[in-house]
Order: sequence, then C-alpha cells, then structure tokens
Amino acid sequence: MTSRLLWIVAALVIWAALPFFVPRNIADLLVFTGIYTIAGLGIGLLLGHCGIVNLAQATFYGLGAYSSAYCTVMLGLPSIAGFVVGAVISMALAYLIGRPILRLTGYFLALATLALGAIASALFFEWDWLTGGTLGIGGIPKLDLFGFVLDRPSRYYFFVWIVAFTCMAVAHNLVGSRTGLMLRSMRDSSTAAASLSVDLQALRTQVFVVCALFGSLAGSLFAHHASFVSTQSFTVDRSISFLLIPVIGGATSIPGIVAGALFVTFLPELLSKLGDIHQILFGLALVGVVVLLPDGLMGAYGRLQRRLAPRRSGHDH
Amino acid sequence: MTLSLVLQAVFAGVTNGIVYALVGMGLSAIFKGSRVINAMQGEFAVIGAMTTVLLLTKSGWPYPAAIAGGALAGALVGAFIEIAFVRYMAGKKASEDSFLLLTIGLALTLSASVLFFIGRDGHLLPPIGGEGVLIVLDAVIQFHALWLIAIGIGATLLLRAFFHRTTLGLSMMAASIDPDGAATTGINVARMRTFTFVLGGLLGALGGILVTPLIAVDYTLGLNLTLKGFAAAVLGGLTNPLGAAVGGVTLGLVESLAIIGISSSYKDVVAFTVLIVIMILMPQGILGRAGRRGG
Repeated sequence: MTSRLLWIVAALVIWAALPFFVPRNIADLLVFTGIYTIAGLGIGLLLGHCGIVNLAQATFYGLGAYSSAYCTVMLGLPSIAGFVVGAVISMALAYLIGRPILRLTGYFLALATLALGAIASALFFEWDWLTGGTLGIGGIPKLDLFGFVLDRPSRYYFFVWIVAFTCMAVAHNLVGSRTGLMLRSMRDSSTAAASLSVDLQALRTQVFVVCALFGSLAGSLFAHHASFVSTQSFTVDRSISFLLIPVIGGATSIPGIVAGALFVTFLPELLSKLGDIHQILFGLALVGVVVLLPDGLMGAYGRLQRRLAPRRSGHDH
Repeated sequence: MTLSLVLQAVFAGVTNGIVYALVGMGLSAIFKGSRVINAMQGEFAVIGAMTTVLLLTKSGWPYPAAIAGGALAGALVGAFIEIAFVRYMAGKKASEDSFLLLTIGLALTLSASVLFFIGRDGHLLPPIGGEGVLIVLDAVIQFHALWLIAIGIGATLLLRAFFHRTTLGLSMMAASIDPDGAATTGINVARMRTFTFVLGGLLGALGGILVTPLIAVDYTLGLNLTLKGFAAAVLGGLTNPLGAAVGGVTLGLVESLAIIGISSSYKDVVAFTVLIVIMILMPQGILGRAGRRGG
C-alpha cells in the first residue's frame, strides 16, 4: 500500500512540474490528453463495467462544445452557462435515447450508437444557424477564474487536469459503490443479476448518462481551449478515437484511460513527423494493439508485473 | 408531389438500395461464417472501385477486365484479412468487441492508405451501358441504373444458388451453423471461414464498382457504405445474406421517398433513424424469424 502511495505522490509531482519544463506544443498536447481522458473515462465505464461499446461520444462532446460556443459567443453569457447547458442537454438526450437503445446488446448496440453518432454529425452540419456548419463558431473566450485568465496552455493544463482528476474520482467512487457492484454482477452474469432484482436497464442508462456528462464536459473544455469549433471536430472518426482510449489503455483501469489518452494524442503527433504516412501507421498501431494486447496497455503491464512478481512475493507477504 | 417525382425517387431508391444490398450481403455472409461484424466492409467497396479506376485509367485495361480485376482485388484483400488477422485472433478466442475493433482499425488503415497513395480526389467510372437515359413518365433513368439493378439481382440469385446448390456453399453454411459437426464430416472449418471473407470482399467490391459511375469514390466513402450495408443486413436479420438484399432495397426506398418531403441533406439522418427504430422494434429484422432461417 505504501509503495502505491509513493507512486501516486511521484506521479503528482511530475504532473505539477511538467508544464514548466516542456515546450508550448507539448503543453498543448497535454491539455488535449486531459480533455480526452475525461471523454474516455465515460467510455471506459461503459466498456469495462457494462460491456457496452459506445461509438457516439463525439455527439456529447459536440453538444458540450457547441453549448459553450453558443452561450458565450452568440448569447454573451458567462462560461459556466455553456458548461451547464451542455451537461443538461447531453444528460437529458442520453437518458431519452438510452432508455430505448440500451435494450440492445453486443454488436447491435455498438452499431446503434454508431448510427446515433452519424445522425448527430449530419445534424451538426445541417443546423448551421446553431452550429455555424463547416464555418463553425470562432472567438470563444478563454476561461477566467476570478480574473485569472487561463490563456496559455500551461495555465489551462492545471484547470483541465483538475477537472479530469475530479471525474476520475467520480468514476472511481461509482465503480466502488453499490452501483459498481451491481454493474460488475451485470457484466459477468446478467441473468443472475436480474434474478437478484438488479434493474439492468436503469443501471445501464445511468452509466450512459454519466458517460454523456463526461463527454459534454470534455467538449466544453475543448471549445474554450481551441476558441473555435466546427463540424469537423465531431465526426464519427472522433468517436472512434475516443473509443480507442479505453481499448488501448485498458477499460477497467483509470491509469489505463490516461495511458490511452496519451496514446491517441501523442502518437499521431509523433508519427506526423514522418509525413503523410502517419495515418496509416496509426491505423496499423491500433490493429497491432488489438491483436497483440487484447486487454490493453495496462493489462500487458499487469501481466509483466505478475511475471516479475514471484521473485519478491516472499518479502511482501 | 407528382407521379414522375415519385417514380424518379423509387428508381433512385432501388439503385442505391442494390448497392447497400451488395455491401450488406457481404457483411452478412461474413457474420454468418465467422461471427465477426466487419466494420471495414465499406472499404472493400473502395478497394474494388479504386482498383478498377486505376486499371482502367493508368494501366489501360478494357472496362470488363478492369471490373473483374477490381472484384478480384476485393476478394484477395478479404482472404488476406482472414488469414493474417482473424484466424490468429479466433485461435486466441478473442471477444466480439476485439473483432469489431480489429476491423475498425483495418478500416482506418485502408482509408488512410487510399488518402496517402491515391489522394483526396474523388474518381468516377464510366457508366455501364453508355451515357444513355430512359424516360418513363418524365422520370429520367440512366441505362447504368438499369444495368446496376440487373447485375444486383443476378448476384443475389447466384448467391442463393451458391448457398443452396453447390457443395462449397453448403459446406460454408454447415461450418457456420455447427463448426464441430461440420469438422467431423471432414469440412475444413478454418478454410470455409477464409472463403466467407473472400465472398464478403467480392460482394463489397462489386457494390463499390457499380456505385462509382453514380457517386465519386474517395477515401471517405467506406465508412458511409459500411453503415448503410450494416443497416441493410440488420433489416434482413443479419445472419441471412439474402435478407440483406431485401433490407438494402427497403433502406434505399425509405431514404429516397423520405427526401421527397424534406431536404435531401437529411438522407442519412432518415436512414440511420430507421436503422435504430427497426433494431429496437424488430430485432429479428423485417423478415422475422422465417427470414432468419433461410439463406
């Protein structure tokens, strides 16, 4: 337990020092890592604890981003209004859509969410009175906290990551709570869970709503970071890259989500130094992870640890 | 709303529907044979169409040979994917989700490869049967659309005959329904799975080649066709390739009739909404249980 505490302290020290030592573009990517971590956490909850593949996260990400953009630029409201409006709309939509579609299972549900994402992406494009279409909405103000403007990546970094840590705590508590136990029982044997009067559908809807909330928060944070939003950011491709976060990192582990978010933000950036071929390499990297590390980076790390463990297990126990 | 407008919409719907049907039949054949939802099915269409375009324009092949080449390319990629990835993962008893993610990864890779090697531009193929049109009650119907419909129906009937009449088709069915039983009668189950991917690749490529005189093919076409093909397959009951043919035409008709009333840019919105509603209300597909057994 103490070694775990040490790890956490070390990670926090590195986290706090990081933006002061890295160049601006890396700080910028780290902000995106935080935003993607938040969006990925929701998908990880659905995938790891309910066995649901959600390919519609870009919808809620888009709702959050457009709410922030519309409330601040078009209506001139304070930034908090955008966050709240986005969260309320996303959660309401997730509830209304979740009730019927979460009756589906497996592939059907995955493709229903994919279809949902495609519908939303088409509507974002068509409703240009609201979203600005391909031209988008620009001039979204940077956030300011009581007069302290978060206008540099290194400042925004702390804000985004504090939100991310809060979301991690929420996810962690959800998993550890009674709800989490019910979720696990549902994933491992839905029949047994139902016979113990666990309301599967209500439970799945609840997690779907939490996932939408995280997606919307991430979207609002993105809008204030990029200060420009347009339809290109909320396509089905984006939903796919969000899904990759828990898949690559490991869906049930919170550090895994961070690892996955680092993977999908940094790897394309590193590969883009090799020229236009980087998208092919990213696709191949994904195929490689799915084929060779079926339980994600964290699963592979766990296996490695177990393999090394016997040598010291005598001292630990 | 005039009669000619409706007729025009019906024709457009059947034409698009046949393309969705071909992609959906391939998807359904692969699902039936391997329990893998192939999220790169639309990429087979892109591979088929792009290969045909390149053979025709760069290598100067005659059109029919280029079409055959394109279809063959789809089949070969299908075989490659089964042998290189699916076989290995099936051996490790990978989950449903892993297969879905594998094919998503392959779809990303292929679409990025098209962007990298061929570029952003859309490419068109010349219409089969020439540029001529047929005018019925003021509705304009391209000869190509008639050819497309004829080839689509022909392919569906051939597929039916293949599954019901040939030893290979029956063996593939047996291997998918009861792998252990099939293996005891001497059917090579792994090879049958390779063949389902060959068939899926072939059907997808054919769909892509037939649609390319109507819609320019580029690196983004695959995802859209995958979704439409999946919708077609689900409407037909998913495990029944011939049901997918009915599903595809239904989807095409719903789409094109719906946009008489509303703006054509909502085509995809209508199609995907129908998909979600059908999945919830009719989990067995529009043909019901009876449709599931056949094919």
